[in-house]
Amino acid sequence: MAGTGTAHLRDIDDLVLRVDDLVVEFATPDRQVVQAVSGVSFDIREGETLGIVGESGCGKSTVGRAVVRLIQPTSGTVVLDGVDLGRLSSEKLRRARTQMQMIFQDPISSLNPRRKVRDIVAEGISIWGAGPDDGTDPEARLDELIAAVGLDPEATRHRRPHQFSGGQCQRVCIARALALRPKLLICDEPVSALDVSVQAQILNLLADLKQAYRLTMLFIAHDLAVVKNISDRVLVMYLGKICEVAGADDLYALPAHPYTRVLLASIPTPGAQSPVDDVQIRGELPSPLDPPSGCRFRTRCPNATGVCAEVEPQLVEIRPGHVVACHHPVLEPA
Amino acid sequence: MKPLLDVRDIRTTFQTNDGAIRAVDGVSFTLEAGRTIGIVGESGSGKSVLVRSIMGLLGPSATVEGEVLMDGRDIRQLSRLEARHFWGPEIAMVFQDPMTSLNPVKKIGTAITESMRFHLRLGGAEARRRAIELLEQVGIPAPARRLDDYPHQLSGGMRQRVTIAMALACSPKLLIADEPTTALDVTVQKQILDLLHDLQREFRMGMILITHDLGVVSGRTDEVMVMYAGQAVERAPTSTLFESVRHQYTAALLRSIPRIDDPSHTRLDAIVGRPPDLRTLESGCRFAPRCAAAQHRCLTDEPEFVPHDVPEHQVRCFFPVGTPEGHRALSDNQAAGHAAGGAPPSIAVAG
Repeated sequence: MAGTGTAHLRDIDDLVLRVDDLVVEFATPDRQVVQAVSGVSFDIREGETLGIVGESGCGKSTVGRAVVRLIQPTSGTVVLDGVDLGRLSSEKLRRARTQMQMIFQDPISSLNPRRKVRDIVAEGISIWGAGPDDGTDPEARLDELIAAVGLDPEATRHRRPHQFSGGQCQRVCIARALALRPKLLICDEPVSALDVSVQAQILNLLADLKQAYRLTMLFIAHDLAVVKNISDRVLVMYLGKICEVAGADDLYALPAHPYTRVLLASIPTPGAQSPVDDVQIRGELPSPLDPPSGCRFRTRCPNATGVCAEVEPQLVEIRPGHVVACHHPVLEPA
Repeated sequence: MKPLLDVRDIRTTFQTNDGAIRAVDGVSFTLEAGRTIGIVGESGSGKSVLVRSIMGLLGPSATVEGEVLMDGRDIRQLSRLEARHFWGPEIAMVFQDPMTSLNPVKKIGTAITESMRFHLRLGGAEARRRAIELLEQVGIPAPARRLDDYPHQLSGGMRQRVTIAMALACSPKLLIADEPTTALDVTVQKQILDLLHDLQREFRMGMILITHDLGVVSGRTDEVMVMYAGQAVERAPTSTLFESVRHQYTAALLRSIPRIDDPSHTRLDAIVGRPPDLRTLESGCRFAPRCAAAQHRCLTDEPEFVPHDVPEHQVRCFFPVGTPEGHRALSDNQAAGHAAGGAPPSIAVAG
């Protein structure tokens, strides 16, 4: 898979995030280069949720981290609300980061165990202030945030993270992320450490908050059903490249990339039919130190031919809003 | 037919600084040779403690009561020495994280041949030949070359294949797989589950598959036991369970999972609250505080684990899903606006 290309980028005004040709490479101690993300482009419009899905090592978390510059990208641009983050001084970048907040996989380790919930949620406000548009009392604002994530402010405020379950800690993380009214919320596997019954609560909460605060989200996860549930559009990654981008329902109804089809066929669903017939995948994930030539998925692809080794497929629009990077996409309805 | 494994009334208690925790509270089941049972539950349901109690793998802080009969012998009464001879040829286990169940400084070949040399008294060359066969069976390419690799040289999926090969080395009669695919990617998960299924048939082993994922047991087990807060709440042949789920918890769990065939942005039917604290259990049904159909009786009396419709479908619920009592309980709660335990009466359900 893979491809590079920008056929899916939109020329519209209300973009919150635009990522162009993002490349992230890491050097190994023995001077090899890990190609973690290789030419990924995407955009997110205001109020939209873009899901990024893929297996371990596909680069999905690296994309999220490079967007907020927890990792310095090797090349490529990240434009948040019209501002190119790569050109900002460190002081201005610090300020710009208040506009993008992150939620991580393990809620317990992302909260300082010594601090009280109130102080954790208030930290951003105490550094940056409550914002010009906000005349409300900061304490009332904190209580409102804690209540918005489904916790009781009275009972929660003065307790510390170890007194809460994983699901409740994730709610605290969400309240903290929302405190500065960010333009973009990046969720990196926010429910994969939670039990299924709690996972549903958090997904519903994110959906409610998206409505209430008009949130724009980048939602990164390995679970296709979870990503479909929360996202408006879904981007599938494999070994640092984009395979396919489409509207959530479209992608699952008419998956065109062989890798997307493999992923869909692998989901164990109680008592339900997979949307795709059994597709077998061969072999092991190639090393990102030395990714295959041409299409990066070709070594495991059931449809691969000679051309796949020679020419890297570009993202091509196969129907409105649905792009795929494959020489032999499946275009028939499944 | 006499069962391969007969687990009777297991009660496992841990002593902690905050008091005693009864992690498993009176669980019984049987498994016939060549059959598979899936044990499903969320964190803290007691599923892993149950199998560790069966295997005798818990430390001194745990007290286990009950009997575990395998081929008529109570394996909990075995001496340390007897257990050594039992683990391997009779019963073997595959764990969640392959990296922690492989010794990082031992070559894969050594890890697999060790048990065959001890239990089956095979010579070095013979054990090595058999190890190559096993690695081939679990789908490791170029197995002869892999024998001299160390675990860190393999991917997660390959490591799990190696631990499966180790478990199968002495052809055990019973294989216990505790969340064998939870640490793996979906495509690898499918390969490993298919592999376990094929090997289980080929070796005619009994298998216990423990998972938090109802999707994993569907289609790959003969029967399923669902656990909640240390108890079995429902047990049925797998197809029966998915066709006519009876326990309110099982049904709620199934509804709370995002399904790939539902449209995007489908509202999930989440279960409110969280499982009870096992140190401070109240009377009544353990699921009642979160149950949409709970009645007053559910808060005071504890339901028995009894057959429903057919003898092999056991349910611990006064108002099972899909029964007239269950329907009435739910519609009463809807009229009242809340269930007896305080949970909102769900809109979905019924069926």
